[in-house]
Amino acid sequence: MMNIHQPVYLEDKLEEVESSGKLAYRSQTLPTWCPGCGYFSIVEGVSKAMTDLGLNQKDTVCVSGIGCASRFPFFMNTFGFHSLHGRALPVATGIKVANDDLTVIVVGGDGDAFAIGGAHIPHAARRNIDITYILFDNGVYGLTKGQTSPTSIVGFKTTTTPYLNVDQPLNPLMMLLSYGASWVAQAYAGEPHHLTEMIEAAVAHRGFSYLHVLSPCVTFDKTSMTYKNLGMTVRPLPGDHDTSDFAAAMAAAQNTDLPQLGVYFAKERPTLADGLNEIAARAEATV
Amino acid sequence: MAKTEHYVIIGNGVAGSEAALHLRQRDQDSRITMVTASKLLSINRYVLPKIFSSSADWRDFLLHPPEFYDQQRISVRRNTWVTHVEPEQKRLILRHRESLSYTKLLIASGGGRYIPESLSEFRDLMLKFGSYEEARSVSNALPKGGHIAMLGGDMIGLDLARSLVHDGYKVTVVGDDYLFWPHHVDQEEKQKFVAVLQGMGIDVRSGIGVTSIEEGARNKPARHIALDNKETIDADVVLSFCGLMPSVAFMAGAGVDIERGVLVNPQLQSTDENIWAAGDVCQIWSPEENQYRFFYGWENVKKMGEIAALNMTGGHESISTFQDEKLIATKTGQIDSPFWQYG
Amino acid sequence: MAKNAKQRTDIQIAICGSAGDGTIAAGDILKQAMAKAGYNVIAFDVYPPEIRGFGKCIARARITSEQVYSLKSESDCLVSLDDSHAIPHVPEVCKYGTVIYEDTPMSEMAEGTHISSHLASAQLPYGVAFREISERVTSSARSRNIVAVGYLAGLYDMPAEIFHQVIGRKFSGKPKELTDSVLSAFDAGFQTGAETFRLHFDRIGASRSKSKQSDLVMMSGNAATVRGCLDAGIDTFFGYPITPATTIMEMLAREMPKRGARLLQTEDEISAIAATLGAGYAGARAATATSGPGLALMSEMMGLGAMAELPAVAFVSQRGGPSTGMPTKTEQSDLNLAVFGVAGDGQRIILAPTNVEGCYKCAGKAFEMAEKYQTPVIVLLDLYLSNRYEAVELPVENPFSENCSKPVKKKPGKTKYSRFKLTSDGISPRAIPGDEDCMHTVTGLEHNEQGRPNDQPEIHQIMSAKRHEKLLTAVKHPGITISKRFGDKGKVDVGILGWGSTFGEILEAMIEARKEGIRCSAMKVVMLSPLPLGPIHAFMDDCGEVLVPELNYEAQFAALVTGATGRPVHRLNRVTGTPMRVREILAEIRRLAGQTEMIAAE
Repeated sequence: MMNIHQPVYLEDKLEEVESSGKLAYRSQTLPTWCPGCGYFSIVEGVSKAMTDLGLNQKDTVCVSGIGCASRFPFFMNTFGFHSLHGRALPVATGIKVANDDLTVIVVGGDGDAFAIGGAHIPHAARRNIDITYILFDNGVYGLTKGQTSPTSIVGFKTTTTPYLNVDQPLNPLMMLLSYGASWVAQAYAGEPHHLTEMIEAAVAHRGFSYLHVLSPCVTFDKTSMTYKNLGMTVRPLPGDHDTSDFAAAMAAAQNTDLPQLGVYFAKERPTLADGLNEIAARAEATV
Repeated sequence: MAKTEHYVIIGNGVAGSEAALHLRQRDQDSRITMVTASKLLSINRYVLPKIFSSSADWRDFLLHPPEFYDQQRISVRRNTWVTHVEPEQKRLILRHRESLSYTKLLIASGGGRYIPESLSEFRDLMLKFGSYEEARSVSNALPKGGHIAMLGGDMIGLDLARSLVHDGYKVTVVGDDYLFWPHHVDQEEKQKFVAVLQGMGIDVRSGIGVTSIEEGARNKPARHIALDNKETIDADVVLSFCGLMPSVAFMAGAGVDIERGVLVNPQLQSTDENIWAAGDVCQIWSPEENQYRFFYGWENVKKMGEIAALNMTGGHESISTFQDEKLIATKTGQIDSPFWQYG
Repeated sequence: MAKNAKQRTDIQIAICGSAGDGTIAAGDILKQAMAKAGYNVIAFDVYPPEIRGFGKCIARARITSEQVYSLKSESDCLVSLDDSHAIPHVPEVCKYGTVIYEDTPMSEMAEGTHISSHLASAQLPYGVAFREISERVTSSARSRNIVAVGYLAGLYDMPAEIFHQVIGRKFSGKPKELTDSVLSAFDAGFQTGAETFRLHFDRIGASRSKSKQSDLVMMSGNAATVRGCLDAGIDTFFGYPITPATTIMEMLAREMPKRGARLLQTEDEISAIAATLGAGYAGARAATATSGPGLALMSEMMGLGAMAELPAVAFVSQRGGPSTGMPTKTEQSDLNLAVFGVAGDGQRIILAPTNVEGCYKCAGKAFEMAEKYQTPVIVLLDLYLSNRYEAVELPVENPFSENCSKPVKKKPGKTKYSRFKLTSDGISPRAIPGDEDCMHTVTGLEHNEQGRPNDQPEIHQIMSAKRHEKLLTAVKHPGITISKRFGDKGKVDVGILGWGSTFGEILEAMIEARKEGIRCSAMKVVMLSPLPLGPIHAFMDDCGEVLVPELNYEAQFAALVTGATGRPVHRLNRVTGTPMRVREILAEIRRLAGQTEMIAAE
């Protein structure tokens, strides 16, 4: 899956794109990201996944917080909620609790998720609310023009850490696993086909699915999470990785030097909606 | 600098109230606390018989309005019972397990209604007329123009009797030993005064005892009394007026000399230097008679309150001039007694 | 009772004890029973912030035959279940009022620690052997509080059988032996009370007029709020516990699932309001409840709600502030936060009910308004209103409309849907996820009619105007009293402008002032944003002096009114953590009435 080096011809590509139907999921607003940004592949991936899964635009809501990644809903021809910095998950929780029939896809960046919004992730995960959370991790604040983020590596120089960043980066995969997320996977913006595959699987999962996407910021990170560095280090999870084995997932997540792509952990369990329906059934029994 | 005295007065009758007033006049800085079992401030019991002829409530019988106590800085602890006195610690123990310390104590707890042994088994069928509450109960139990049987016939009872007769009630007095108590009247005088009472409209059965008191039959007055001369009386209310018994039970074990009442010298000081007594509760040494004796009546009791207060605040005055204690028949065919006079 | 049936009833009873004495439970039985017996009851409990320990609890209930609007500053009766806590409250008992206390304490008491030594000369003592009676009939001292309630009922001629019903219901589900034991404690207390010689003059006399007795329900402000939510068809509730709003969530947690509605306790107030906005966006009738500190956390989201034009209802029960302040004491100091606590020009609708019935009405109407005007609506309560009980009459017919959204009138596939279309009243047709061909993205960024981010100068100007002008129509929202004038009509010497729970005391003071011959009227303002400026100006035109009493230090409402009208008012502010005293307001009215005359004389 990682060897896609055949030549691509524009005419063929245009025809392929138009016939795929995935443009129906794209809005008329063109993405405002920097040329070369890894995030483009995510719009592409989500559109492809929605096409393949046969989702209806009117029954899909894309929710985001604030940040480069959070502009995502504007580029989709679905319902969208561009909310506040860090608050995408609780907003999505409200939407999903209000209407189970909606497919809710939450997107966000590393600062939005793990800095200001860090308090919400454990709760969305433990409740197993049936939404998909696609996290675009570029290890830097892009929209505010280059500051350190909770996933920046030690030593990273930014406008707010001009000498060096001394803070240890978080390990999002381990966090999500320990929070009880029922589906955890990692993808890389430089591997768009695998990314699309992962997005499809994440949306298809019944419960809280967390997809961590490593995605270079071509503007504010020339040294750390670059296409070059990531391209040389990422690799697939071993073929014998057991997605039902929590300890194996945690062990694999510890390998941050050589990030592994694929599904780390997947386990079906009752969702928040299941729980709320159970509460309603018990309450109605008392009437 | 003299320490602040805390005068505690047990009782809120005439003697206690008078003492409190004089204590305040003579010692502006002191604490004054009156302790009484009554829920009410001092009531003027001499006007209680008016309860039958008016719609007055207890406020109309108050000796002083509530504001008086606030102005005089006299704390009246009502609904409070003293169980015993500890003179060495100079404190009282109250029934609700609180202590109350004093520097000087005045016992003015008065007298409770005495019920002779011969009547004691019928006590539940008799009412009392000492407090406002008791008076109200009598008034509630008595129908308009109803019949009251009064056993004993002491002067407190006779005062009520004449008032009731005046208001159109029927009163029968059954009495012997306690008739005209606390006046000492010889047999000859007694006949004379009984005749006057009869003339006043009070039915008197003198020299006769009570055999039994029972609940009245249906459609009859509430009480049925059998006398030892085989006569019977049907009355709505039975009251006992057999004189007073000093209320001193709480003084048992205090180490203060007591005979029937608290024994005091003519300065009203007891055998404990910090304890005085005044009013119906005390027996005062009478050098002339060479014995301790009681003095009753509003004016006497009032005077005792004043003298006690005087001596508790450093004075040294003996009680000497007592009012005339003679029972008299007036020219208008009534009897009169110094015990009936007040104000 | 019959012998006093013609006498007006107006008795206020305070029961004071330590946490664990069953003080609040005793007060609850009293107020439930008397409301059931057909009386007007206003009740308010004060309890300590600590769960266990020995904090002071007071349950006060005013029982009346006529409609009254507040508790009295003096009580007619104080029941002490713990003298150390009750002694400071003895002075609140009126002349010839009664103090009922334990006469058989467990242990020896130091001099001056028994309540009987603290009574004023004009107060009446009723010492009762609560502990002994409880031990005698239940073999435990734990039912002292019930003996006390029984004694009170006996002493004041209250109907024992109704107390039995209330106790029976309160203990339903408990073992029968326990209920029987409690009832025997009540009966023993009742008998003792009934046999006690009455020296007090207050009697339980007439109840409410017969016609009004049918649908009387005794409930707290928070319970009425919950009823309003349920009757308005609340779909989702997201909340985070905070005193004094928690009971709203607790009651909804019991009731909502029975109707298929959903409630979630979130991880903080930020997520509570975020989820509420999310649910509102998805078409639900959604609400949250909090207090001042929680509202402070919600400020940013409230701004998003205003910008993205999303419906949400937030019940905010104020307590003493700033910061954690006094969590179990009442105050009206979050008005500024409610009105102004937002980044940018983020006006929203604010409703402040003045009594328990108003809580019901405002709660239900808040959902209509949030939906119709597409905005967050804050219903501003306070601890005194949340926790106070009144006997209220709820409408037989549900007064709330089912769907107030401005509908999208568009044929599928035709013209492109514009979520923020400019209209004459500023309200845009509203679509929700699931609606065909209406896909759009809402955002906290300034945006054009389609919802696309846009920061062009004319766009921000036009859209700001749209968002504010649509709210002005809310002042005429049907079926809710936005403001109301009471008392003298026409020109008056003194006008009192009030809001929130304090308006009860204001009304009582106004009624007293009129009895004294002062020309006086009072106006309650229920909608605090946007302010109903027409009626407020008209009222102020009629008033020689305008007084604004409120429970905050900074005169927040007075400043709001002065700022909006440019007219001066007199301020009366108290921050004692307790309701304002009627006599304080009355004294101010008298002073201002005198001032008016002086000016007239000049």
